[in-house]
Amino acid sequence: MADRESLAVSAIAPEVYNELRRVAAAYMRRERPGQTLQATALVHEAYLRLADAGTPWHDKRHFVGIAARSMRQILVERARARGAHKRWAALDRVTLSDTLAVAAHEDAMLPALDDAISRLEQADAELARIVELRFFAGLSIEETADALGSSPATIKRRWALARAWLHRDLSGE
Amino acid sequence: MTSEQQRRVRDLFEAALDRDPASAASWVRAAAVDDAAVAEDVVSLLAHHARAGAFLSNPIVERAPDLLVDDPPLRDGTVVGSYTIVRELGRGGMGRVYLAKDDRLGRTVALKALAPDAIDDASQRERLRREARAAAVLTHPGICTVYALEEIDGELFMATEFVDGHTLRDEIDRGPATADQVRRTAEDLAAALASAHAHGIVHRDLKPENIMRSREGRLKILDFGLARLVEPSDAAAGPLRVTHTGVIVGTPAYMAPEQLRRETVDARADVFAFGVVMYEYACGVHPLRAREATAIPGAIGHVIGRCMREVPADRFASAAEVLVALRASDATHSARWWRMHQLVVSVLYLAGAVLAWQLKEWRETPISVALFLGLSAAATIGAVLRGHLIFTERMNRARLDHERRRMTRAMRFVDVAVTTMLAADGVLIAGVRALGAVGAFSLAVGVLLAAVVLEPATTAAVFGDER
Repeated sequence: MADRESLAVSAIAPEVYNELRRVAAAYMRRERPGQTLQATALVHEAYLRLADAGTPWHDKRHFVGIAARSMRQILVERARARGAHKRWAALDRVTLSDTLAVAAHEDAMLPALDDAISRLEQADAELARIVELRFFAGLSIEETADALGSSPATIKRRWALARAWLHRDLSGE
Repeated sequence: MTSEQQRRVRDLFEAALDRDPASAASWVRAAAVDDAAVAEDVVSLLAHHARAGAFLSNPIVERAPDLLVDDPPLRDGTVVGSYTIVRELGRGGMGRVYLAKDDRLGRTVALKALAPDAIDDASQRERLRREARAAAVLTHPGICTVYALEEIDGELFMATEFVDGHTLRDEIDRGPATADQVRRTAEDLAAALASAHAHGIVHRDLKPENIMRSREGRLKILDFGLARLVEPSDAAAGPLRVTHTGVIVGTPAYMAPEQLRRETVDARADVFAFGVVMYEYACGVHPLRAREATAIPGAIGHVIGRCMREVPADRFASAAEVLVALRASDATHSARWWRMHQLVVSVLYLAGAVLAWQLKEWRETPISVALFLGLSAAATIGAVLRGHLIFTERMNRARLDHERRRMTRAMRFVDVAVTTMLAADGVLIAGVRALGAVGAFSLAVGVLLAAVVLEPATTAAVFGDER
C-alpha cells in the first residue's frame, strides 16, 4: 500500500504540484485583501481539472493524499526560497517553545518542520501523512479519517501524537 | 528504538490521553516498567502534548496567498540590479510594482516584480522572455512600452514605461462619462488595441484597472501580453499563436464567453472586453450589474453592443474593425459628407431652373414657360428644405431626426417633380437644340440618382438609419 502510494506520488506529483500552483496563483489574482485561501476549494478545483484532463486517479481520496504532499512541497519550497530557515535559526532558543505554542512565525518554521516531518516519516509514516493532510491541506479530523480509511477517533489520537512528536523534535529536545 | 518499541510508545501515549494528565506519567511508568526507554519517551511526548498549545492547529494553507505571492515589499532606496527603488506603486496580478530609477539611462520606470510561482522552471522563463520580446515590439503611444525583462539575483523583473496618472477605474467610479469623452476614449482604446492586434498580440485581460490615463490625458493600456505568461507553457506555440489550455487567467467580469469556457481565444476576446469596458465607462455600471438594459445612445452604442455579442463570429474581427466602425459612427466626422450631399443636390435643382430658363429662351411656348416656372418653384422649395436640414444639423442637432422625418415626403415630391419637368423640357427642346436636350436629361437622371441611390446611403452611414 505504502509502496504503491509513494510510487503514485512520484509519478504524478509534478502534475499535481503544477496544478496546485496554478490554481493557487489564479486565486491570488482574484484575491481581495485579507481573503484567505480555502484549502478544500483549492484542492477540489485542482482535482476536478486534473480529473477532466484524464489523469488516472483512482479516486478523490487518493488524490487528496497526493495534493497534501504537493502542498507541503510547494509551501516549504517557497518558504526556503524566501530565507525562512535563516529567520528560524535567528529565533531565540529560550522563547522557541512559546513560539511553537502560539503558532508564531509559522512560515519561518516551515523548512525546519519539513525536516522534522521527514524524520517522523522514518518512525511512523502514517503520522506524517496525517500531518500533511491536517496542516498542509487543511483537512478536518473527519476528512483525514476518510482519506486514510480510518476512524475519526483514531485519527484524533494519532494527530495528538504527531503534534507532540513534532513539537518535541522542533524544541530540540 | 525498535519498531516494536515504537508501536508500544504509540499505544501507551494514546491510552494515556484518556487519563487524568496529573497521573498519566506515573501510569505510563507503571505500564512500561520493563522498558524505561519506552516509558520516558511516552512521558516526554505527553509533556510536549500538554505544552503544544496552538502548534500546527491552523492549517498553513490558509496563509498560502502570503507565502506564494506576497513577497515582502522592497524598501525605498533599495538597489535592484541597475535600478533604484523610489517607492511602491501597488500590487498587480503578477506581483508588486515599484516606481524605480534606471541608473544606466537616468530614466524613471515602472519595475514589476514578477511573482515567482509563474516562472519557476527554465521553460517558463524562456516563455516569459519570448512574451516580453513580443510585447516590446508594441511601441504605440496608447500602449505602455516594455523596456526590459531583467533577471536579478534569480528574481525576474519587468521594466516598463511609467505612466503617471489614474486608471479608467477611477474615472468610472466618478460617474458616467460624457458622450464626447466616451467617443474619444473608445477611439483611443480601439486604436491602441488595433496596433497590438496587428502584431498578433492579444491582451486577454483588458479591464478598467489596467487602462491608465496619463496627466497629459493620453490613454495607455498596461500589461500587454502579461496575461498569457501565467498560462502553462506550450512548447509548440509560437509567440503569435494563441492557445489556451490552462487555468482561467484574466478577470471574469471582462472575459469573453469563450475565454470563460477555456476555449481558444483570439483578438475577438479583446474586442469583447473592450465592449464591456466601454459600456461601463459610458454608463457607469458594468453591463451585468445594470438594473435595466441601458443602451448607450447613438451609433456608438451599436458598435459597443456588437463588441459584446456572445458568439465571437458576431463581433468585430479585431480592434481595427472596431475603430473603422467607431469612426464611421462619428456623426461630426461623416456628417460633412451628408451636408455636402444636401448642398450639391440644391445646386442641381438651381442648375435645372437655369437650364429651363435657357430652354424657354430658345423656344418660348406656354409649356416651356410653365416648366420654367414650375422648376424654379420646385428648385426654390427643395433648396430651402435642404438648407433647413443643414441648418438644423449644425445648430439644433437634437431635432434633426424629427425634422428629417418631417421633410422626407416633401423632398421626395420635389425630386420627382424636378426630374419629371426636366425630362419634359428635354423632350420639348429635342428638335431645336439637341445639346440642350441632353443637358436636361442628364440633369434629370442626376437628380433621380441622387434621390434614389446616394441619399439613402449617405443618410444611413451618418445617422445609422436601418432603411
